[in-house]
Amino acid sequence: MPPRDRGQRRPPGPPGQDANEQLPWALVYYQAPDGTVPALEFLDDCPGTVDAQFTAVLDAVAAAPPPRFSGGGKWEAMHGTMGGWYEIRLTGPGREQLRLFCLLENGTSDELARRGLRPAIAVITGMRKPWRTVFSERDYQRVRELGREHQQNYPRRIAT
Amino acid sequence: MTSPMLDVSLHERRRDRRMQDLQYRAAYEQAARELAQTDAVIRQLDSLRADLGISKAELARRVNRNASSVRRLFTASQVRPELPLIAALADALGAELRVVPRSTEARRAVREHGRPRRVADAG
Repeated sequence: MPPRDRGQRRPPGPPGQDANEQLPWALVYYQAPDGTVPALEFLDDCPGTVDAQFTAVLDAVAAAPPPRFSGGGKWEAMHGTMGGWYEIRLTGPGREQLRLFCLLENGTSDELARRGLRPAIAVITGMRKPWRTVFSERDYQRVRELGREHQQNYPRRIAT
Repeated sequence: MTSPMLDVSLHERRRDRRMQDLQYRAAYEQAARELAQTDAVIRQLDSLRADLGISKAELARRVNRNASSVRRLFTASQVRPELPLIAALADALGAELRVVPRSTEARRAVREHGRPRRVADAG
């Protein structure tokens, strides 16, 4: 099912962006130098119903990207050392906590052209943890390293 | 320097393939409905607030919350919006929350199939 049409809402972006601004944002998956796709490996490893929920959130956000989408209770802007990141937070069987980490790909038309993208949500990787535990700073550091690697690529290296 | 536009269709292709699984599809559609409802409530509250010319900070003051909690609610900076806060905001904006049953047919489908019936199922 395609993302819902949210009517008159328009994606944010620098003035003068081309007709792409009328489109839902793209959803792309970061591909590591070794060819693996961490986020897809994570999703493929999730129970099917959890994968479906992550996909529904991604589609909802892409259809009405920040700041228009309130998050629907699942999509959250991160803070602190993870500032600039967004996460989708879901609870799986046994109250397992599952997180999908994303970056926004937006900017001027020239910048997006360098990346080979229209405005997009880049899905970088996911992590899971038992209920009532926390990820370590090292865990988050690994996520950020993947993000940095992703953002160094022109054009972006994404799974196709 | 301009790069060639990348193929960004993988997500849609993967989703369409996974949707062939009825359990996956049901979970996707349920999640989409829940997200849309939550988003609609928050958007409607923010729209009411804007129509009344009340700032987020002022609205927060009226419900005895700090400004950041209301701002986070409206800007995707907080997950799991609290129902008491939502109810308080609605009240402060001269509105109220309601649960509206769907059509009789939709409720019958929930009783019989455990989920609302899609249009495609109806034939």
